[in-house]
Amino acid sequence: MKIGKNNFKTVLFFTAPALIIYTLIVFIPIIWSSVYSLFDWNGIGSMKFVGFNNFVRLFTRDREFLPALGHTVIYTVAQIVLQVFVGLLLAFLLSSIPKLRSFFQTLYYVPVVISSVAICQIFEKLMSLQPLGLINSILGAINPAWYDIKWLTDVNLCLGSAAFVEGYKYMAMYMVIFYAALLSVPDDLTEAAKIDGANGFRIAWNVKIPYIRHVIVANCVLVLNGSLRAYDIPYLLTGGGPGNCAQLLSPYMYKQAFSSMKYGYGSAVAVMIVLISLVFATVFRRIFERED
Amino acid sequence: MQQSSRLKKRRISTFLLYCLAILVLLIMVYPFFYTAMSAFKTPEEFVSKPQYALPAGFYLGNIKYVLLESDNPRYFLNSLIILVCVLIPVLLFGSMAAFAICKLKFKGQRLMLSYFLMGLMIPLQVCLIPLYLTFGKLHLTDNMLGVILPQIAFDFPYTIYLFTNFFKFLPNEVLESCVLDGCSPFKMYSVVVVPMAKNVFLTLATMNGIFCWNEFVFAYTFTSSKKLQTVTLGLRDFVGMYGATDWGRTFTTITLTILPTFILYFFLSKYMLAGMTEGAVKG
Repeated sequence: MKIGKNNFKTVLFFTAPALIIYTLIVFIPIIWSSVYSLFDWNGIGSMKFVGFNNFVRLFTRDREFLPALGHTVIYTVAQIVLQVFVGLLLAFLLSSIPKLRSFFQTLYYVPVVISSVAICQIFEKLMSLQPLGLINSILGAINPAWYDIKWLTDVNLCLGSAAFVEGYKYMAMYMVIFYAALLSVPDDLTEAAKIDGANGFRIAWNVKIPYIRHVIVANCVLVLNGSLRAYDIPYLLTGGGPGNCAQLLSPYMYKQAFSSMKYGYGSAVAVMIVLISLVFATVFRRIFERED
Repeated sequence: MQQSSRLKKRRISTFLLYCLAILVLLIMVYPFFYTAMSAFKTPEEFVSKPQYALPAGFYLGNIKYVLLESDNPRYFLNSLIILVCVLIPVLLFGSMAAFAICKLKFKGQRLMLSYFLMGLMIPLQVCLIPLYLTFGKLHLTDNMLGVILPQIAFDFPYTIYLFTNFFKFLPNEVLESCVLDGCSPFKMYSVVVVPMAKNVFLTLATMNGIFCWNEFVFAYTFTSSKKLQTVTLGLRDFVGMYGATDWGRTFTTITLTILPTFILYFFLSKYMLAGMTEGAVKG
């Protein structure tokens, strides 16, 4: 049911402000980005139409794009593990303690509300070597060889360090969602399983996880989308890392567009990010929702 | 006998779970505790003592410097102005659009909702290049408006989504009786709907407020002069200048920039957490 007759002007009054701002700033630029991606353009001179050449170049002649894509995939898998898997474990932990749940939940959530810039600065200090940061001084006390683990400048470690910090920041966000979902599991389901003699682990695995399955899939898609476009943490923490060992797609797009002034080429990378996100999310949903 | 041993086993496992919960708590909170306590350390303490040592006393030199001699107060003011200019339009226009989508009658309502929700799937990086070029022509780069407008636009999808989720369940009888009393849609929105949706407004104000305070990409891309920098940009520059040498001042700056979010969060965490679960479990 809707209220009375509404003339066009009333509807316009309510919807126009949001509609106009949103269209101008979100919708139209997407179209422009797709258009730019077909041109060779530095922003000042004339635009030269090159068709799909930018995309062909990305996959055939660009030495940084494919490694960046590879790093992004690794980064995304790490985020699924940290945010979805660990997040789910934390939600189980919360729901299995009898008291103080909201106390723990509120404090676990703290990293989510802190800015990425602050988190990165803090971790830069924690992982520092000169002067010795907290993490290495603790590790070094256990084994002196660990005093000089170069978390942020070692070619093999910097991508992992950035992935860890990103996971650390957002983990609790998914924990909160899983926790709410776990609370929605009806008591009679778990009671029935208990009467059948199932232990806590079996109840979690055979009753609760299947029940909240759609939340798990939805969260995976959210994490997938979030990490395929991850920008601030990898950029701020590693700046691409030595020899671009931690370069991801979004910072790479940024670099092409705003440092090298290749707006057309940068737009092609941006369009690829959207396409990859859509493909991954669709494939993921297909695989996991088909069985329902 | 068996009963008591089972009870004992249960107690032990509960105890272990609490130990685990406290361990996780340490991991999640200790870095921020460490940051805050390091703000009170003297420069010598960073060199002579291990990192985890507590400060010897309440050394206030760092705080004095950051508050009185650095540019940080200006960054705070900038961020505050941006916060207000983002929150008011987002909440006002967002709730108005959601109200129309849920409760007014017009063609294309569903389409309009999907159009807004599409924004949830769009990575903002796609819009960055065209926005940068357009803003350049309109003289909106290096202008606060250039940081404010994109944040408003990108906050709409989520804001409208949560508002529609709430307005859907507003009883139509209440609104109908308003109509019978001769109430116009404008009056209905402002006198009936907004007061009923107070909690949703609080939730969205908390979430969008924290996102806005922490915003980095738009401010970084669209502003260049120092006098327009926000706290996040200021923090990054400050650390770039002093980070390697002066840890005390760095930690003080970090502490001061995260303090407002901390305070806001601890008073309104209930609303923030409600918004998170509301948005995702149903979505």
